[in-house]
Amino acid sequence: MAASLSGLLKPWTPRVFLVRWSRYNPYYLEPEVRKEAYSQPESELSAEEKEQRELKMIRPIKAAASGVTSSVFSDPVLSKFINMMMEHGNKVLAREIMTQTLENIKKKQVEKYHKAPEGQKEEIECNPYTIFHQALKNCQPVVGLESIRKGGKIYQVPIPLSDKRRSFLAMKWLITECRDNKHRRTHMYEKLSQEVMSAFVHEGNVIRKKNELHKMAESNRAYAHYRWW
Amino acid sequence: SQSSEKHLGQFYTLPSAHFRPLFPHGLPYRYQQQVKTFNEACFMVRPPALEVISYLKKADYSKPALRYLFYGVKGSGKTMSLCHAVHFCYTQGWVVLHIPDAHLWVKNCKELLPSSYNSARFDQPLQATTWLRNFRTTNEHLLSQIKTKRRYVWTKRESTDEGRPLGELVNQGISRVKSSSDVVGALMKDLRLQSSQPGADFRLVVAVDGVNALWGRSTIKKENKSVDLEELTLIHNLKKLMKNDWTGGAIITTLSQTGSLYTPKSAYLPQELLGETGFDSMDPFIPVSVPNYSEKEFESAYLYYLDRKWLQHPQSRTEDGKKELSFLSSKNPSMLDRICGFL
Repeated sequence: MAASLSGLLKPWTPRVFLVRWSRYNPYYLEPEVRKEAYSQPESELSAEEKEQRELKMIRPIKAAASGVTSSVFSDPVLSKFINMMMEHGNKVLAREIMTQTLENIKKKQVEKYHKAPEGQKEEIECNPYTIFHQALKNCQPVVGLESIRKGGKIYQVPIPLSDKRRSFLAMKWLITECRDNKHRRTHMYEKLSQEVMSAFVHEGNVIRKKNELHKMAESNRAYAHYRWW
Repeated sequence: SQSSEKHLGQFYTLPSAHFRPLFPHGLPYRYQQQVKTFNEACFMVRPPALEVISYLKKADYSKPALRYLFYGVKGSGKTMSLCHAVHFCYTQGWVVLHIPDAHLWVKNCKELLPSSYNSARFDQPLQATTWLRNFRTTNEHLLSQIKTKRRYVWTKRESTDEGRPLGELVNQGISRVKSSSDVVGALMKDLRLQSSQPGADFRLVVAVDGVNALWGRSTIKKENKSVDLEELTLIHNLKKLMKNDWTGGAIITTLSQTGSLYTPKSAYLPQELLGETGFDSMDPFIPVSVPNYSEKEFESAYLYYLDRKWLQHPQSRTEDGKKELSFLSSKNPSMLDRICGFL
């Protein structure tokens, strides 16, 4: 068996070479994706900018990641959310769900807008992007809890969170809540749009979870001095 | 009156009283959702539909019925042009025989009964009853005025006499599910014969979407044997309608690759989709090509979405955003609709 197959055995090379996630030499510079940066003439931060450009002409540049585009519609927060929703590397599906969610939110709001009387039309927010960003901001906790071991016992100590951590927690809660606590037969985009709309008006399970975290932190205020950093 | 060359690229709003009866079926799904969201139904006035409407206005109805065929790439607006033409016929008071998608009749059939009239053929009661119901909603006002010309016997106890209004025939088909396909066949035959007569006070428009299903293959299986298209009553009767041996009306059809069986995705021309037999049977027909949006039409669609508050992204209102939209959708109407959906 092995003797007949040995002629077919070639040294295996993958079809796609992953360049980005192998470790780049720190000598390589980040690519500039935005179109505006290339249309600027000689007139901006003259010394620094010009130095930067000189450097880019000499040094090698890393390959751009496949998730970033130079499109005017690209949004870093949205890309992060799509990456967090993605499972088994299926970015197509995650993006599809996200676009369907945004479309669903916009559809509901525009329907309400067209049926509303003249006086109430300005109060209805139709932009799904502002609704989504506002909902995420509403879900972000202000303080977090950390388990700190002191004198043999473990205390839940309130600590400040960095901006990145806060936005990460908001997105994580939103996704897990939609995956676990909703009816099995509804589509993900339906569940997500309902949750985002309720977070926009400070209702819903994610806001409740954030408030419970805040209450726990408030009740454990006495242990705040256990933090040493 | 409503549509002329001056209005090319502009949007024609359908009066809401016409919308519910005319289109219980036949519009693309995404368009129906759009109508629900915006609370109004708007057609863009485009050259293919205008051409067909002008031919309909000028045609001689004592000659055999003319066959119009809309063809184009996927998503270029063939079904919408068909519906625009059908709406014109409706406003003129014609009888509208609109089959929303002939492909639905050749696949996924839940119930297949042997036909009572001809034992070699098969009946499809479910599809026939839903179609009859929709036909009734569309042509309510005309059905009471047209009378049957022959006597139809359904079973030993039930029959429809000569001279009864067509509405009774349709109700008979909806209530007696078993004989509904035969009712459909009788209806088509009657309407065809009556509109051919010189004294007829109505004209008939036959609108079929996805006409290439009539000459393709089917995936319906009866006891593990694939059913031939000739053995289905609905398809058989529809093919008889497609022949231009009757006068006093028009046949408007669309090709469709999306629902078709065993055809490659890249095929969109009549020759490829209809096949040999189909092309020969449709032979003297008027092909109307439906291209993607031109610059002016794209501009018009963009402004319509802006006006209806559908394009919400702040960047989509800039010049750059518009250029990007035009590039991403390559001015294909359905792609533009999908992209603007989430922007």
